[in-house]
Amino acid sequence: MRRPSLLRLIVAFTWTGLSSLGGGRSAYFHDVLVRRRRWLRHDEFVQDLTLSQVLPGPNFSNLTVVLGYRLAGVAGGLWGLLSILLPGAVILLVLGVLYVRGDFSPGVTLLLRSLSAAVVGLVLVTTLRIMRGSIRGGRAIVVAALTFVAVGPLRLPTVAVVLVMAAASLVLHRSGPADPLLPPDHGTGRR
Amino acid sequence: MIDLLRLTWTFLWLSFLCVGGGLGVLPEMERQAVSIHRWVTAREFVDGYTLTQLTPGPNMLIAVFVGYRAHGLLGGLLAGLAMFLPTSILAIVVSHHWQQWRTRRWALLVERSLLPVGVGLMAGGVYTLARTAVHDGLTAALALGTALVVAGDRVPPVLVILAAGGLGWLLSA
Repeated sequence: MRRPSLLRLIVAFTWTGLSSLGGGRSAYFHDVLVRRRRWLRHDEFVQDLTLSQVLPGPNFSNLTVVLGYRLAGVAGGLWGLLSILLPGAVILLVLGVLYVRGDFSPGVTLLLRSLSAAVVGLVLVTTLRIMRGSIRGGRAIVVAALTFVAVGPLRLPTVAVVLVMAAASLVLHRSGPADPLLPPDHGTGRR
Repeated sequence: MIDLLRLTWTFLWLSFLCVGGGLGVLPEMERQAVSIHRWVTAREFVDGYTLTQLTPGPNMLIAVFVGYRAHGLLGGLLAGLAMFLPTSILAIVVSHHWQQWRTRRWALLVERSLLPVGVGLMAGGVYTLARTAVHDGLTAALALGTALVVAGDRVPPVLVILAAGGLGWLLSA
């Protein structure tokens, strides 16, 4: 695998950041870095993707930093991060200034209402897709459902919910890999 | 000044709550930014998130929006740094060691246990957005229609959102 220079990395990451609009953003990185430029192997990408999802922090920036670090060390990680953040941050600030100053006409405000309803539809599908790919077995469903009810409708503080649910989930999952053929409580209390 | 520090600190610890995607942190971020500290209104929060969906880069740039609304450019800059920098440094450090860790039993257990928690948080994020953004028949229809088209996977999501937004705008004008 050829590794890119820092400059080429910044160009590639800035482009990926600019073109990654609305959902499925990690797919853009896969397309650019693995399929087009061939800087990474597929398995390297998948490993970095998994890591970026387990680590705390925004997924997309985590993935950027981990990929940048693999390609060009610490400088690659930090410059990569800046490359995906800066263009979006500047555009968002310009829109934010207009929004806060009330420069949006009533028509634009009405448009924003419709757009935000549509965004709910998008994030719903994204969430369902991730659910389908990652939730296996009764224990995982119970943990996910209780977490949802606690932070959603009940509006409980997320820190407390995560501490309790993560601990409960660790206890539930400690008995070996989830196997749908075994009864859900198989092996509990042993180990 | 005190509130600026509070803003920075809040987004710093919020960034560590993003387990399995930025969506999962929305319920707590809304609680902090809207209900507790009143940096933005519930409506502004949802509008800000919508703007981040329509602009390039991570959705968690909403930190910049909230920070700007509360304390101007400095607020936006500090909230953005707090959201992205510390977790990125952690990512570099862990990434450095992950080759040796990833096959260990405890690493697999942590991964398998945290996943459903992350998914539950994401679903909570959808709920938080919907509570403000979906309030009548039209907005519910727009949300459902968008979901159906996006699920079909034929049209880029941004185009679907823009089309649904335009349609809703025509119908409500």
